[in-house]
Amino acid sequence: MHIPDGFIPLLQTIIYWIIALLFIALALRWARKELSEEKVPIVAVLAAAIFAIQAFNLPVGMGTSGHLVGGALAAIILGSPYAAVFILSIVLIIQGVIFGDGGITTMGANIVNMGVIGGFVGFYAFTGFKSAIKNPYVSAGIAAWFACVIPALAASVELWIAGTFPLVGGMIAMGTYHAAIGVIEAVITAVAVYLIWHARPELDWSTMSQAEAGRVTAA
Amino acid sequence: MIEDLFLIEKQTYRDSFIHRLDARVKIIISFAAIIAMVAVPYSTTVYSVGSLLIIFFLVLWVFSRLPPSVYIWRLVMVLPFGIFIIVAQIFFTNPHYAVFHPIVTLPLNIHIYAESIEFATILLVKFLVCISFIILLSSTTKMQDLLEGAGRLGFPPEFSLIMGLMIRYLFVFAYMYRKVTEALETRCFNPLSREIPWKYRIRMLGYTIGTMFVRAYEQGERTYYAMLCRGYDRDSRLFIRKKPLVPGDWCFLVCGMVVVVAAPILVWFDIIRLI
Repeated sequence: MHIPDGFIPLLQTIIYWIIALLFIALALRWARKELSEEKVPIVAVLAAAIFAIQAFNLPVGMGTSGHLVGGALAAIILGSPYAAVFILSIVLIIQGVIFGDGGITTMGANIVNMGVIGGFVGFYAFTGFKSAIKNPYVSAGIAAWFACVIPALAASVELWIAGTFPLVGGMIAMGTYHAAIGVIEAVITAVAVYLIWHARPELDWSTMSQAEAGRVTAA
Repeated sequence: MIEDLFLIEKQTYRDSFIHRLDARVKIIISFAAIIAMVAVPYSTTVYSVGSLLIIFFLVLWVFSRLPPSVYIWRLVMVLPFGIFIIVAQIFFTNPHYAVFHPIVTLPLNIHIYAESIEFATILLVKFLVCISFIILLSSTTKMQDLLEGAGRLGFPPEFSLIMGLMIRYLFVFAYMYRKVTEALETRCFNPLSREIPWKYRIRMLGYTIGTMFVRAYEQGERTYYAMLCRGYDRDSRLFIRKKPLVPGDWCFLVCGMVVVVAAPILVWFDIIRLI
């Protein structure tokens, strides 16, 4: 899903960079307003952990393997889509500059796909499904599936606009592959959220009242 | 990916003229080369510009005294997604050509077009040039130097602070990842083994990932208290000492930028045409 350099024309990459920078600025504003100073080191360490978590080979089935994106997991645990934007932006910068996974000019598009779309879809799908089915772990799983598939579809649309991949072929290839990978992302996210909220119940903001959540954020 | 972190960082501790250059110079030259390559329209002009930039890259790689095997290993690591799009191109038409001539017809009415092969080659050249400069940058510059260089070039201080912390803990979590995978291996746990029930494998992996998340959270809390003891507060910023560029850095920066800017211009005006 990491679009490399050269696959999107320069003018279009500038547009994606502007959108990405807008959301990064919003994420920074969120960090200043909502995050207590305590959370700043936590966000940095979690970004490093997401990098390690992405390294685990996960069995998708039929002999194939995949790995976690982690955007939905970050958004759900930290209780904000901006957390995912913040963490995934940092992760994508390191991946692009150090590992060459995803480009420099296309980094804006990658941040928009995995950080912004992944984070917002993951978080709001979680809150929406949770209010409907009342089970936070199943909701986390469904949200993680959507947060995996929809950014992949967005990437195929961007490649189509760039004229480097046909829309239908891209949507089918990227959609099918990520729908399969998304199942493993969904199950692993649900299990991880279950473990985290049982090991550290105070992090489970989803069962708190608004007043309690406010007190935890302010603390 | 994180398991390759130590090998990548190890290359940056070698000594050469390129390694000793200021990180800002290497960031500017690499990014300029990438932007120059991406800016060239999808046409056969890409071949000549790409060839000139690849020659420039090869000269820099030789000066960096890094073995070719490092470049090949780094390249193989990032190829899959780009190569998938490039290879798939040959079966599709694209908006960059008006007419397509099929050269091979396969079952199910699938064609391989001459123009699509040309377009796939154009994408491949662009991809290889861009990735080569990233490999050069990250193989010759320490992560901390990159961060400080970016900070001196105007990278937002809020990001510098968090990225500085993240880079330090990246190595901690790379060790943790290695220890966790070794622990799983010593217990004969293979996530891809079909001899172990899928449900069990998933539960174990989910708990492992969840545990790493909890450990990261607790590490973040400990880090916060340690920082608090050393005077950290909301307005703390990463301290980056001012460092002027030395004449050697300036000289390399000017020469490098001349090559990067001149390559597309000379090819565009047909003064140089390699292919």
